[in-house]
Amino acid sequence: MRVELALFASLRRYLPEGAHGHERTIDLPDGTTVGQVIALLHLPDEPRVVFVNGRHAPDDQRLHDGDRLAVFPPVAGG
Amino acid sequence: MRKIVRVDMSDLSVRTEPLPEKWARYGGRALTDAIVFSEVPPAADPLGPENKLVFAPGILGGTTAPNGGRISAGAKSPLTGGIKESNAGGQAAHALAKLGIAALVIEGAPADKDARYLVKIAQDGSVELKRVDEWAGAGNYAVADGIKQMMGDTKRYATITIGPAGEMGMKMAGIAVSDPDGYPNRFCGRGGLGAVMGSKGVKAIVLVDEGLPTVEHADRDAFNAAVKKFAAALREHAVTGQGLPTYGTNILANIINEAGGYPTRNFSSGRFELVEQISGERQREVTLERGGNVKHGCHTGCVIQCSRYWVDADGRYLTKGPEYESVWSLGADCGIGDLDDVAALDRACGDIGIDTIETGVMLGVYMESGRLAFGDGKGALRLLEEEVRKGTDLGRILGDGAEATGVAFGVKRIPVVKHQGLPAYDPRPIQGIGVTYATSPMGADHTAGYSITANVLNVGGSVDPLKPDGQAELSKGLQIATGMLDSMGFCIFVAFAVLDIPEAFDAISEMAAAHTGQPWDADALMELGKETLAMERLYNEAIGFGPEHDRLPRFFYEEKLPPHEAVFTVPEADLDSVFDFVPETAAKMGISKPGA
Repeated sequence: MRVELALFASLRRYLPEGAHGHERTIDLPDGTTVGQVIALLHLPDEPRVVFVNGRHAPDDQRLHDGDRLAVFPPVAGG
Repeated sequence: MRKIVRVDMSDLSVRTEPLPEKWARYGGRALTDAIVFSEVPPAADPLGPENKLVFAPGILGGTTAPNGGRISAGAKSPLTGGIKESNAGGQAAHALAKLGIAALVIEGAPADKDARYLVKIAQDGSVELKRVDEWAGAGNYAVADGIKQMMGDTKRYATITIGPAGEMGMKMAGIAVSDPDGYPNRFCGRGGLGAVMGSKGVKAIVLVDEGLPTVEHADRDAFNAAVKKFAAALREHAVTGQGLPTYGTNILANIINEAGGYPTRNFSSGRFELVEQISGERQREVTLERGGNVKHGCHTGCVIQCSRYWVDADGRYLTKGPEYESVWSLGADCGIGDLDDVAALDRACGDIGIDTIETGVMLGVYMESGRLAFGDGKGALRLLEEEVRKGTDLGRILGDGAEATGVAFGVKRIPVVKHQGLPAYDPRPIQGIGVTYATSPMGADHTAGYSITANVLNVGGSVDPLKPDGQAELSKGLQIATGMLDSMGFCIFVAFAVLDIPEAFDAISEMAAAHTGQPWDADALMELGKETLAMERLYNEAIGFGPEHDRLPRFFYEEKLPPHEAVFTVPEADLDSVFDFVPETAAKMGISKPGA
């Protein structure tokens, strides 16, 4: 399956090669979970905010073809 | 002994009096509220002599309390018609507090409408009123330069100024406060308080604190220990210690867009396809490429350091930030995806002296009327410079904000609550902020109860932003806490650390107790927040605000917002529960309606 991956702010450097801006499309085995992608990318073991298709998602959520996975470090402002 | 300084513009007299005992525990927002509540008749014309413009540093102003240098400005608002407190960073709060001033009250109105005054308070506390008629119509930056020349060798002072919009009584006029470099770029932006200052004939206030020490503490050692604890928490928390200092407030653009709550083209979509170009990450890259400053505090004593300077292609200072809210309002809400266009608009707002949020919302509404294309940054700048700044017939309409503009040009989708434009989070996919917009006595105001924390950022817990459950409770708790923080003089960004680190919350009452010598604890802090809100609610009730005003515009309940196809679903009963504590708090305070 193909998933759109987006990593922001300080996490952007963990994007696989070939990324455009904050984003890159990646191929994954069916049924891969959010947590497995995060492990695959070697993201630092720190707090993060994860969205799948614009909604908060836990690490054990399974991804589906066409999903968008976005990961942020802790950020705030306003 | 803290004092109140009153400047009566009707007869140009100045009175100084001790801060009354009943207000000894108040500062910042609580004190501006108390003075407006007690002394401004609810029926007063906001731009008439009965209104009063109050400036107050927080309880911890003038001390080394980290991020404790916010200044509150308060009055009856010409925009909302209700009580208003709008606070800013910059140097004025510390200067007032060092001068021993708990509140500076500008009263009355001059008979000569063409007169412009500068109010100068010297190190010894003496107050001088100086005619500056030649500054009529000048922008904030020209006024700042004029003051600099006037001050000669005196280098340490803070300024509070208005641009032409305030002089013309425009309802979206704000008040500029100088930053540590003297730029007039921090704003008490919301609610038209610049127009109140203009109605008093006051163009500028200069507060000289050269050579003045920080304010003395009841228990210096205990105060310093609490300061250390508080600063450590701010440095430790990932948001206040890393995210904000590195990327500034506009780091939010991508995450709010991702959550589908980034209002685009007058609140018609929750995602902006050009967000990447105006994001905090991009802003940092461009600023660094051009040699701009990407990390400084907006006031002395700031530990977080989220402010930055935008420079033009030649490396010259143009404006601060721009901040997240301004990039959104002048960018995404207008369909503008170019940071230089946004910065030029931000600079124009700063110089003309208008609120960037209200201006962007106004422009989005105007664009929806079909008179200017979405995305036309140059056209938007022309409107601000040629119409608003010059006060043309069109400029007067636009200068009164989003609602006036929408009504004048027949726009149906007007995003305002209590006549004030909505900030940078759509309340349909982020429902907690919708509760704050609907119920805050300030009108639509994100800072009044910043539920983005738990709704989107996972700070201070987590509440699903797309569901109505728990939103009223979330907003209520945050509104009470914010009333307290605004009264202490804290930047609300400390809340990100305070919500997650218990020691940080403890440190606030420890600082307050050690500084004032009064008993402060967690309960007393929350009581302060409740008292602040109780005064505001009772004042607005006396004007005629009721539950029907604590609602969002209808389209938020009816028009589905992409990408989540969300509408606002928090029940009215929940909205009406947010201020259920007011009767009990008011009874404890011994107040029931405005007046002495």
